[in-house]
Amino acid sequence: MFKSARILVIVVAVCGFLWAPAFGADFPTKPIKLIVTAGAGGGEDTEARALAPFLEKHLGTQIMIENQTGAGGKIAFEKFQKVEPDGYTLITYTFPKSVIMEFQGKTGYRTKDFTPIAAWSRSSQLLVVHADAWKTFDEFLKAAKAKTLSGGLSGRGSTTHLMGLIALDELDIKANWVPYEGAAGSVTALAGKHLDFTICLSTSAVSLINAGKLRPLLLFSDKRDPYLPNVPIPKDLGFTMSFIPTLRGIEAPPNTPPAIVKILEDAIGKAAKEQGFLDVAKKRQIVLQPVSSKEFGKAVADVYTKIAKFQDMLKQ
Amino acid sequence: MDIVLQAIAFVFQWQNLAALLSGTIYGIVIGVLPGLGPSAGMALALPLVLKWHPATALIFMGALYKCSNYGGSLTAILVNTPGDASNAATILDGYPLCEKGKGGVALGISASAAMIGGLVGMVCLILCAPLLAEFALKFGPAEYFLTAILALSIIAAVVQGATIKGLIAAGMGLLLSTIGFDVITGQLRFTFGWAPIEDGIPLIQALVGLFAVTQALVLAQSAEAISRLTKLSGSFWEGVFTYFRHPMAIIRASAIGLFVGILPAVGQSSAGLLAWAEAKRESKHPETFGTGEPEGLLASETSTNACMPGDLVCTIALGIPGSVGAAIFLGVMIIFGIIPGPLVFAEKADVIYSLFVALVLSSFVVFILGATVARHLAAVTLLPNEIIVPSILVVSLLGSFAIRNMMPDVIISLVFGIVGYIMLRGGFTPIPLLLGLVLGEMVETNYHRALMISGGSYSIFFGSVICKILILLTILSLVGPYLGPFWKTLTQGEK
Repeated sequence: MFKSARILVIVVAVCGFLWAPAFGADFPTKPIKLIVTAGAGGGEDTEARALAPFLEKHLGTQIMIENQTGAGGKIAFEKFQKVEPDGYTLITYTFPKSVIMEFQGKTGYRTKDFTPIAAWSRSSQLLVVHADAWKTFDEFLKAAKAKTLSGGLSGRGSTTHLMGLIALDELDIKANWVPYEGAAGSVTALAGKHLDFTICLSTSAVSLINAGKLRPLLLFSDKRDPYLPNVPIPKDLGFTMSFIPTLRGIEAPPNTPPAIVKILEDAIGKAAKEQGFLDVAKKRQIVLQPVSSKEFGKAVADVYTKIAKFQDMLKQ
Repeated sequence: MDIVLQAIAFVFQWQNLAALLSGTIYGIVIGVLPGLGPSAGMALALPLVLKWHPATALIFMGALYKCSNYGGSLTAILVNTPGDASNAATILDGYPLCEKGKGGVALGISASAAMIGGLVGMVCLILCAPLLAEFALKFGPAEYFLTAILALSIIAAVVQGATIKGLIAAGMGLLLSTIGFDVITGQLRFTFGWAPIEDGIPLIQALVGLFAVTQALVLAQSAEAISRLTKLSGSFWEGVFTYFRHPMAIIRASAIGLFVGILPAVGQSSAGLLAWAEAKRESKHPETFGTGEPEGLLASETSTNACMPGDLVCTIALGIPGSVGAAIFLGVMIIFGIIPGPLVFAEKADVIYSLFVALVLSSFVVFILGATVARHLAAVTLLPNEIIVPSILVVSLLGSFAIRNMMPDVIISLVFGIVGYIMLRGGFTPIPLLLGLVLGEMVETNYHRALMISGGSYSIFFGSVICKILILLTILSLVGPYLGPFWKTLTQGEK
């Protein structure tokens, strides 16, 4: 039993060695490890697991998903910085959380260094109030100018916090931020009228919005959300605002060769168009938007300058 | 009523019964395996059930989620390793019972608790989920803070007999709970640049250290092996009878579990611990708790099993998950096109009530599995200590590694093992430390949040009716033990 296992290992190792020189030309030749920086079952993980079978189909190899939680993903990012850039270890996470972490404290990695491959979905933050409170955004704005309101965040230094700071800056109002651990806490507190408003991803509040308990007033995006067609965006109300888009995609370690990036980018693009993946996306109300390697890279560069502007406020 | 009858008829179709049985068994196995909790179990099973009928798939997932807790209690009782954070309190009296050779009794109690606790929870969920969810929404930061203070006041009962040492341990637990990322200020505290503790001290890893590792150290130190009884005394059915002899304790423990489960921001790990501490306080012989007291096991197990349906109240009725496991169950429901929320009872009544009926049935399935299969596992405890304790050490450290796939977590367990050993030598019990660790963050963050909302005014802490009731309960809990004797002195005079 053990003898045969040992022989098998040797055979596999020798084969791997023999195939190695052909590297790049026929990538991939062995299973690919996809690191998820959050626990099994969350949004990040579900999207990765929904995409994986179709990615396997188009790459012709196995995708092994490994959940590396801990310190919000920081441990995984730091390990990832030093991974061999051979395309066999990839990472998926909710961009730009890694960049925010860099601004919040010392990190042993730089998101700038990673090689962006492709993203498939984006989500935008939503301003939500209790249904018994204001009916329109104008009413809300008037109230917010008259007195300092309490606003829920899904975490200090989260993307909701950053978006909240940008919005307040451009609307010229002040708020009393109350951080929670995740959107569940801030949405519950809003439904119980312990807060005046909350900023969260639309998926976190959708059940209570549909039931008429909470009311969405503004979507922080340049496009309306197809799942919330009646919620206005700042442009509709005459505001110009910059946004922090939240992207879900895959990145490779620093200095991954372009040939490998191309193969992976094509495969992700095709996988994200498969009917099976589209079905899951529709049920979870994921807004799909293909983002190429180049566009992803630009989004990374952009976000650094945006966050730098609010760095001091994030640290307050 | 029609809808319930339809649901019953639906659940009794063969494929749904098969899904129920396989989900239950799979859940128990996931619970038994170290480092795998219901969250990972559901994520791994998802591709398998994706093509099933939504209601059938949810029955499978629900049974898995509900019964993994029982699997975790098996390892907690037999090998001193909690399968999940919710089994934290199970080891306190479960494992000592095994040491007394009463493994069978312990398994009988835990199987009965899985059935009764689960049933009580399910009945409340079915009858008044929307009502309970409305109640949970009334809890803001101030109410959560006062709930945590009430829970902490129970420590006073836990430490009876060794008050000073108990309070020192509780204080240590509270201090340890401040380690890591501070949610409110966004600062890292006391991590010394070590990333594995940035999320705070991981609970199961700490538990493995405090119990499994400490025990291995004790064994290694004693020259002769601490031999156990060579024969099991007491059967599974003796455990079942013991369980049903304490109806009041069952009611109290179920109520605590349900309460903790319903409030989305109270960790499940505290359900068992609080029920255990409360049972100790009510007991006429509190000194036996922690040394293999059947009532202690009864309380912690009943409470954790009632906690899970409570957890589903807000998940289903509001779409707000109260725990990681519930969050994943919520995700699963959405994938099958059932959007939880206040409307779900009207829009998807057939699916929801089928799920409820199945979960009620699964409570009985767990008991039957316990009575036929799991009870034979008690034989494990007959293995000599020299073999079993090192094996426990390997299995539990493996579990501690597998939770986050991180070697530093094993180091955390070892450090807590040494801490636990030193505490034991010094006559400290680790239980107040555990309570402090579990409740510390809830006290601190909600205190902060409440004051942020009120603009620094303390009136928020006694503004609402719930606040006033909580304050009253806390005072009663603290002075209660002294009232009885005081009354006696008043009426009968000094002796």
